[in-house]
Amino acid sequence: MKVSDFERMMAIGLSRRAILKTGASLGAVAAASGVLGSFGAAFAQDVSLRGQILQVPGVGKGSPTDADWQKVGEMCLEATKKSVTQGEFAGVELSFMGLNNQNLHNVLFRGFLKPWEDYTGAKITWIDLAQADYNPRLQQAIATGTVDFDLLEMGAPFEGDVCGRGLASEMPDWVKAQIDMDDYVDYLKAPVGTWDGKTYRISVDGDCHNFNYRTDYFTDTDLAKAWKDEGHEGEWGVPKTWQKVQEVTKFLKGKTVGGSDAIGYLDAPKAWGGFGFYFLASRATAYAKHPDDKAWLFDTDTMKPRINNPAWVRAIQDVIDALPSESGDQLNADPGTTAFQQFLAGTGSMVSWWGDVGAGARTSDSSVVGDTIGFDILPGSDDVYNSKTGQWDKLASGPNHAPNMAYLGWGVYVMARVDSDEKKKKAAWSAAAHLGGKDLALWTAAYPSGFQCYRKSQFDIKEWVSAGYDEAFITSYLNSQSNSYNHPNAAIEPRIPGIFQYYSVAEDELAKIFAGQATAQAGADAIAAAWEKITDQLGRDKQIALYKASLGA
Amino acid sequence: MSHTTMQAGGPPASRRSERTARQLSGARNGRLLLWAATLLLFATLLLQVLEVSGVVSMGLVSWRPLLFAYLIWAGALCAAQVMIRGEDGQRAAFVLPAVLFTVAMVVFPTVFGLYIAFTDWNLSAAAGRQFNGLDNLRSLFADVYFWNALLNMVYYVLAVLVQYAIAFGLALLLNAEIKARKFFRVAFLLPLMLSPVAVSWMIGKSLMEYRFGPAATLARHLGWDNPAFFSTPWLARTSIMAMDAWVSIPFMMILLLAGLQALPSEIKEAAKVDGASGWQSFKEITFPLMLPVSMTVIILRIIFQLKLADIVINVTAGGPGGATDTVSSFIFREYRDRSNVGYGTMLAEFYLVIIIIFVALILKGASRWMQRDN
Repeated sequence: MKVSDFERMMAIGLSRRAILKTGASLGAVAAASGVLGSFGAAFAQDVSLRGQILQVPGVGKGSPTDADWQKVGEMCLEATKKSVTQGEFAGVELSFMGLNNQNLHNVLFRGFLKPWEDYTGAKITWIDLAQADYNPRLQQAIATGTVDFDLLEMGAPFEGDVCGRGLASEMPDWVKAQIDMDDYVDYLKAPVGTWDGKTYRISVDGDCHNFNYRTDYFTDTDLAKAWKDEGHEGEWGVPKTWQKVQEVTKFLKGKTVGGSDAIGYLDAPKAWGGFGFYFLASRATAYAKHPDDKAWLFDTDTMKPRINNPAWVRAIQDVIDALPSESGDQLNADPGTTAFQQFLAGTGSMVSWWGDVGAGARTSDSSVVGDTIGFDILPGSDDVYNSKTGQWDKLASGPNHAPNMAYLGWGVYVMARVDSDEKKKKAAWSAAAHLGGKDLALWTAAYPSGFQCYRKSQFDIKEWVSAGYDEAFITSYLNSQSNSYNHPNAAIEPRIPGIFQYYSVAEDELAKIFAGQATAQAGADAIAAAWEKITDQLGRDKQIALYKASLGA
Repeated sequence: MSHTTMQAGGPPASRRSERTARQLSGARNGRLLLWAATLLLFATLLLQVLEVSGVVSMGLVSWRPLLFAYLIWAGALCAAQVMIRGEDGQRAAFVLPAVLFTVAMVVFPTVFGLYIAFTDWNLSAAAGRQFNGLDNLRSLFADVYFWNALLNMVYYVLAVLVQYAIAFGLALLLNAEIKARKFFRVAFLLPLMLSPVAVSWMIGKSLMEYRFGPAATLARHLGWDNPAFFSTPWLARTSIMAMDAWVSIPFMMILLLAGLQALPSEIKEAAKVDGASGWQSFKEITFPLMLPVSMTVIILRIIFQLKLADIVINVTAGGPGGATDTVSSFIFREYRDRSNVGYGTMLAEFYLVIIIIFVALILKGASRWMQRDN
């Protein structure tokens, strides 16, 4: 090994042991390369690279810093170098609009793209937005024709607003090849990311809510004994249905675990700029998403809201019933509180969230539950509401599960305004492709980034274990996601314009319900009425058409 | 003789007529300039309107050309005033930039806002902006969220009286001969220097945090089992009022302190000599003399209070169940989360009218009360 190579490896944080291990692996693969030829050599390089980036900074070594993001960006630059010559974009200036939630998203992108800027000569300026400010900023830009950004981090629910109005640039073929779109998990393939048959989106995230729970609670012998003593049905264990979640939450009220007050499920009743609605939806999908019906939020042909049907009302009532057994100030908890200030900080035993909880459990400085956390797909329900018959069905296959594909993941989109300048267009797509690269994706899923798995290649348990993850932990985490993504009854969010307006209005009414000012049914009826008004305002026929398209109906 | 007199009394007729001719020529040029600039302004406006309505296509992607035309017209108007009206015009030119700026930044947006308020304009709607008559106003009257927020504003405004009482007490304290008076004056002003957003996080989300917040911990030590400051309507409302008071009391206090310092000491000394107690001195002398300052302070605070939004948005998002919602935070949600620009603007314009009427009534009432008192 050259001294310079050794120093470089040390600089990127590899231990001597890791280098020896990598060297041994490389040696083995190199030996095989005689048989595998050039493919084997490339494979060896890939394996080595993916192993190396996962060591930056290393699981259990604290939160990554800007230096780490730059390091990873540099290491993943090879794909760019194949399509762009050094300094090719000198003089090009690009503007990138995205989020800065939890100091992630754009904050990481800056680091990842710094080496890309250095190599290509392009310069990127950043428009950072808080989650709650993102929707209005984007809507304003769209409605007033003042798109002042070339690259946009955006969720698929907005594709109707952006791609439907011709504001996005169509993805060139060379980008498709560079980012290996076949590797995407199936639910993120077309029609997601496409509009009228054209591809616009580079995925950087896959989204679903999974079920995060504390293993120490559900292996606690005292709680198991108390569960039996109180005459509950079945063994003490992780709830598989929302009915059990309710039962466990009420059971835990007044009990202790490890000397602290035991708390069951953590609801997020406080508004969160529309995003809080996803958390009611995660409780509702098992009741409302029937396997024989793709729709679960609106009727397909009329856009008549289903929010006030018995399934949704049951979910709302569940929250009302559970809140008194949750933390004392739960009414003032938004999803940011439940995940980061409560669950990861040791309060509560069950929470539904995106993959950030699992990604941060062992890699975030603020997490105290890294060793006692398990994952599953969202709980199911013993029965499911059939909107067509108006009856509750008990399925022969057992409880109905319907993982909530909340938000469909973040993607990077290039805006059509670069199309008139070929150099700028290539630069914008190159930057986006760098962020959507296959290897970079592995790192973003393994460390706090705001993104979770969205590629099939990210589910290789061995890679994660070699990075330092505990096999049982990471298997549980990745299975909760892949089983959600691939679930035949997954609840797919409609990609219709103004979807967050529906959610935001619902949040206001839900806040009243949870504060005891309205019953679940009356509140749900009010939400339905407000949703009808929004649909009329946005144009019912157009909304119906887009809704059908998003369901593939 | 007359020639001498004329020489001593002013310029010769030829020079005077020359100056008059120059002035006339300047005035003519000034009018010409103004006409040209006005023509440019209206021509640009016409072109922009034709562009927007699709009649012509000149690549005017924004309304910026009209802004430039307005700036040119404003410059020409100022220059023309000087050229046409001489010294009078120079005096007008001192004021005109401020007037034109106010017209551009306040009057025009308010009037344009009125137009928007009567449209159905949701940023996500494919149809764009549509005139919808009085629909937004009808929706407003039927909107329980708006009236709930307005009712909350009544509570928040009433809280100003409590803030005033505390601020007055502190001002009296800082006006007295106490130790470290200067230090306390600066220290008491510190909350005013903080952004309400920072206060929201430091106090609402940290000090008063249920699990680890020092205020919650202290409350537990004092025997309050469930120190959730934002979970019941009145408690949440009171907590918001307390945080708002923490930021605002220093503002009232400093104005009241200035008023106290301006009071003539002889009257108080005379009262002391006459044997008035401290309370009597305050009740009969200090408080009445401070009434003008007090009214100013209270009215200013009420105007600020009617715009309360930042602390509410950050700490409770209007909850629980709308108990802490303010009109401004509701309007903010309508704009920000729902992109409902037409209705949001109607809310804002209607609230502006309410504020103007309310403040006018207060001023009128205060003026009558003080006249009666005098």
